[in-house]
Amino acid sequence: MSVKLLGERIKRKEDPRLIQGRGHYVDDLPLCNMLYLAFVRSPHAHAQIKSIQLEEARKMPGVGAIYTGKDLDGRLGLIPCAAGIEGLKIPDHPCLALGRVRYVGEPVAVVVANNRYQAADAAAKVEVDYNALPAVVDMDRAVAPSSPLVHESLGDNMAFVAKLEGGDWKAVEADASVKVLKQRLVNQRLAPLSMETRGVVASYSPGEDTLTVWSSTQIPHLLKTQLAVMTGTDEARVRVIAPEVGGAFGSKLNVYAEEGVACFVSRQFGQPVKWIESRRENLMATIHGRDQIDDLEIYYRPDGKVVGLKCRILADLGAYHQLLTPAIPTLTALMILGSYNIPAVFVETKGLFTNKMATDAYRGAGRPEATYIIERVMDLVALELKLDPVEIRLKNFPPPGKDIVLATGVSYDTDNYQKTLKKVLTLSSYKKLRREQARLRKKGKYLGIGLSTYVEICAMGPSSRMPAGGWESGTVRVEPTGKVTVLSGTSPHGQGEETSFAQIVAEELGVPYDDVTVYHGDTNQVPMGIGTFGSRTTAVGGTAIYLATQRIKRKMARLAAHKLGVKPGEMVFRDGKVEREDGSKSMKFAEVVGEAYFAKQLPSGVEPGLVENFVFEPPNYTYPFGAHVAVVEVDGETGEVSLRNYYAVDDCGRILNPMLVDGQIHGGLAQGIGQALWEEHVYDENGQLLTGTLMDCAVPKAHQLCWFETANTETRTPVNPLGVKGVGEAGTIGSTPAIVNAVIDALQPFGARHLDMPLKPEKVWRILKQGPAQAA
Amino acid sequence: MKIEGSWKLAAPRETVFRQLMDPRFLARSLPGCEKLDPLPDGSYQATLKIGVGAMKGTYQGRVEIVDALPPESFRIKVEGKGAGGFVKGEGKISLTAENGETLLNYTGEAQVGGVIASVGQRMIQAAARQIVDQFFAAFSRTLLPSPASSTPSGGAGSPAS
Amino acid sequence: MIPEPFEYHAPHSLAEATRLASELGEQAKLLAGGHSLLPMMKLRLAAPRHVIDLGHLQELRYIREAEEKIEIGALATHFQIESSALLNEKCPLLADTAREIGDPQVRNRGTLGGSLAHADPAGDWPAAMLALDAELQAVSAQGERWIAARDFFVGLMSTALAPGEILATIRVPTLPARSGDAYFKFRHPASGFAVVGAAVRVKLSEAGHIEQVAIGVTGVGAKAYRAADVERELVGKSPTARRLVEAAAHAADGVEPNADLFASAEYRHHLAAVYVRQALERALEKARA
Ligand SMILES: Cc1cc2nc3c(=O)[nH]c(=O)nc-3n(C[C@H](O)[C@H](O)[C@H](O)COP(=O)(O)OP(=O)(O)OC[C@H]3O[C@@H](n4cnc5c(N)ncnc54)[C@H](O)[C@@H]3O)c2cc1C
Repeated sequence: MSVKLLGERIKRKEDPRLIQGRGHYVDDLPLCNMLYLAFVRSPHAHAQIKSIQLEEARKMPGVGAIYTGKDLDGRLGLIPCAAGIEGLKIPDHPCLALGRVRYVGEPVAVVVANNRYQAADAAAKVEVDYNALPAVVDMDRAVAPSSPLVHESLGDNMAFVAKLEGGDWKAVEADASVKVLKQRLVNQRLAPLSMETRGVVASYSPGEDTLTVWSSTQIPHLLKTQLAVMTGTDEARVRVIAPEVGGAFGSKLNVYAEEGVACFVSRQFGQPVKWIESRRENLMATIHGRDQIDDLEIYYRPDGKVVGLKCRILADLGAYHQLLTPAIPTLTALMILGSYNIPAVFVETKGLFTNKMATDAYRGAGRPEATYIIERVMDLVALELKLDPVEIRLKNFPPPGKDIVLATGVSYDTDNYQKTLKKVLTLSSYKKLRREQARLRKKGKYLGIGLSTYVEICAMGPSSRMPAGGWESGTVRVEPTGKVTVLSGTSPHGQGEETSFAQIVAEELGVPYDDVTVYHGDTNQVPMGIGTFGSRTTAVGGTAIYLATQRIKRKMARLAAHKLGVKPGEMVFRDGKVEREDGSKSMKFAEVVGEAYFAKQLPSGVEPGLVENFVFEPPNYTYPFGAHVAVVEVDGETGEVSLRNYYAVDDCGRILNPMLVDGQIHGGLAQGIGQALWEEHVYDENGQLLTGTLMDCAVPKAHQLCWFETANTETRTPVNPLGVKGVGEAGTIGSTPAIVNAVIDALQPFGARHLDMPLKPEKVWRILKQGPAQAA
Repeated sequence: MKIEGSWKLAAPRETVFRQLMDPRFLARSLPGCEKLDPLPDGSYQATLKIGVGAMKGTYQGRVEIVDALPPESFRIKVEGKGAGGFVKGEGKISLTAENGETLLNYTGEAQVGGVIASVGQRMIQAAARQIVDQFFAAFSRTLLPSPASSTPSGGAGSPAS
Repeated sequence: MIPEPFEYHAPHSLAEATRLASELGEQAKLLAGGHSLLPMMKLRLAAPRHVIDLGHLQELRYIREAEEKIEIGALATHFQIESSALLNEKCPLLADTAREIGDPQVRNRGTLGGSLAHADPAGDWPAAMLALDAELQAVSAQGERWIAARDFFVGLMSTALAPGEILATIRVPTLPARSGDAYFKFRHPASGFAVVGAAVRVKLSEAGHIEQVAIGVTGVGAKAYRAADVERELVGKSPTARRLVEAAAHAADGVEPNADLFASAEYRHHLAAVYVRQALERALEKARA
């Protein structure tokens, strides 16, 4: 093929409009007669609602209506949870609180007004009388029998207990050389914090009896089904559109109360209704991520071989389940062995209700926790045995290229962990770094070098293992003019698939890249879909498009062959032509398209037109892997950690566009580093959210980071014909442990073994203050 | 949040105790007090406009004095809410006679919720201290005609050592 | 994040502004860059009935030299100060402090006067004002008065300004011979404000002893303060490395340090000593140059 597109650094189709501020987000949508919503939210973590007084608020100018939980009871469905876990307790989750509030920020009432200012002013006049109740905040206490209960009717705070056990524990116990190391790791709560907050416009047209919803979402099709059910609308009359979405990181892979309420109100008034989340609401009432306590028992031999891992996970689920809340920690269990062949595993996961906002999918969703655990495990054992972190990893990697089933039951699609590790060691001049570290230590300067050799699970996923289908649909339509329209059931929101999907189709069809336009996010345009999450969009959605394109090619080859009097199998697509490999017989692409649409001489059995759909069902997940090296400097006086270098070698399978891969890795690294060093979303002992604004909630900023040196190895996956694995979460998953390992490494002269994240200067300073460790 | 401190007041313990129990003096001393009405159960209904600097809000609430042991000590319960959220606190105030003057020690726990809790954590402790100090400074002025005679022990608003 | 309704006023002269301010009294808030006031209003933690926008008062945007002193209009932005050739030459502490504030957007809108009047315990400016013994001019319908920086900051977000008074001018001395200054700041990773900020101005004698030293510290306590104990340890002495360490250890004496999620009182205390020492070292280096 003459124009090579796949594998090239093609600039993003999305960027000109986004950079110039010409994209359209939910809040940019002007509709006539729009009404605005403002929510009254609980200031209490746990309280009984004694009474709600609306008189004053109703008198405010521009107020159309005010609804409370009682008004919606029985008229608007509950917020759905799709996670399927045996024995899972699912408490009722109404869109507006009924009788009780269970977290700070829970919506209690909604004001409908002519503009957002009037709505806000009236909401401030709604008087709610609460009877405060003791809050469940701390997980260790939440499991105690004496704990107050988040949901009394459920009997305790335990939403589920799941166990995963595998391998030969008897052999571990029988081996007298095996030692045990115990460690507790805390994986703190985080706010996903997308640049664009959530927002929804719902517009019910009484004449047509249709409900159109614009929402800043990752899952327009799933949302359509859920909103139809919640509002009791015929699903064929519901249309969901995800316009430009300014980031999500998993937080918009959900169905939220405000979306349901907006639809309900629009149906009541027969007018469009808008709600745009404020940053404060975003921090308290959009799902949070992580929040686990992991108690580890590590079984290892003196040679560094880890032979068994036990982990008891306490997962803070918050007060109610959102769409996938309880499923997230179960991914931690699944991936807990990382890239190591540890022969025995035991994981017990307890999902707990607390009086906090729900946790759910946040970039990585359960896998960053798993990777953090196993990568800390490796360093803890290395420290115990005085081994280099490289050595311990090499000792525990499986041999490359052998299909193995891990003790967790997981079998990876491809692996060559030695290769990525070797590459990152070269890239970072690892040995030189170690020498520099030794030199600096003598001068009282503390350089830390941290490693992480992760594997993640993505391209979600085989439908048999997904809560609501893991397939994806792709449609390719060649228009009568020869331009190409691509429809994807995924819902990219910044990742750049308008570009990569166009690359796939243009290269396959041999047409100019600019002739291909990708659409997504409108349920009336895209026949079916699941959405964008779990690093699935290219591997599953891109594959669907690739396969739909093959169908188009087969049809066009048949049309051209028919016209040219050759065999369809001889046709190739290149340079805007459909022709024989040797060029002897050739038709212009547009001519073949004309054949399809004018339909004058179609071969028998061929339908007119050129539109093909493919729904791809992935046979397995994919398992990208990588090796990262972080280099940090610790200020010996203040404990402040600064990032000096970061090296990332990632294997995400075949690379369609290196620039997009870099972009995903860079952003992912920033988020993972943020968790290690700065970010934490904190509730106090009464369940009050303390990090309620960006004054305290520390998102990483460019100036706090360093230049990222990235590289790749490309091991194609056999799971899909494109050979791509997914890269959306890799950076986040790989980087957090690399940083923590680096800081602990820097603190070796002080005998540090572990510190919980974020590694705030004060924590590090307290280690420094203890003074140098006595040489053992 | 824990709040504690001490003030030295230039009046005998009995006077200090009596005036602390007297709503007229309290109303004059409570920062931004707009209303302090006794309720039948012995507690007071209060409207206070309090805050620091430009951050001021009106809070409605109840103040209750319990376990009064004249002239030694009493406990005070405060509960209020306003646009900025809610405050709930309980404290103990004890008076020690010192050469005709009084050393007042206070210690308490306060719980803050809503907006102030989620945006103000870096300042809340200092703000609480400032408001308490304002109260005692004003209160000490009600004790005697000369305001100069009362000073906080150990510098403005320093805790009991 | 929508403020309560308020009435907006946009006076075009200082006289008009002071008249409005005195008429409206406690009901009104002055608006300069709005970078502190508007967030509070949007959170409804401040809800003034009237907002008097000082934005049109060009007369308060200057930076000029006036007999051994420099006068800065209260509405001069952080960026104006950072980029002023006059200040970079004759009072570099101010330009250096400005550079440490927020990000370019904040520096382009935020003003010196607004920042001082707001008196955020973690704001950068108060440290420099104290170290320079700045004088602040308050103007009202009744007239004007000058307030020394030491008397200006009275508490947490509280200043000596009375309702109706507008901060109009900030006056600082130029840097004398054999002198140096420096501002060192430990930034909060989220807000960028000073967890601890230390501003130092030091003057050496011919013999190389410390003739004068002034140290302003922000971020540590409820209000910015002069590290008087450190100054006392140093005046008239030769600034040896050891003496600097010992003196700086008193950087938070007599202050009850703030404690928050990011830094405990003990840690702030420690940071104060480290940053005061580092600022002293830098200022001395400049004084010797
Ligand atoms: C993202 C962000 C980051 C920031 N980072 C920093 C930082 O690192 N360091 C730092 O020090 N600051 C920081 N700030 C604060 C910034 O410097 C503000 O601009 C400053 O504190 C207030 O100045 P302003 O002109 O915006 O005042 P405004 O917000 O307009 O006013 C503040 C207060 O001062 C009063 N006021 C204003 N002008 C006068 C006057 N002339 N006379 C009397 N009263 C007046 C107002 O009524 C109001 O109460 C940051 C702000 C933001 C938004």
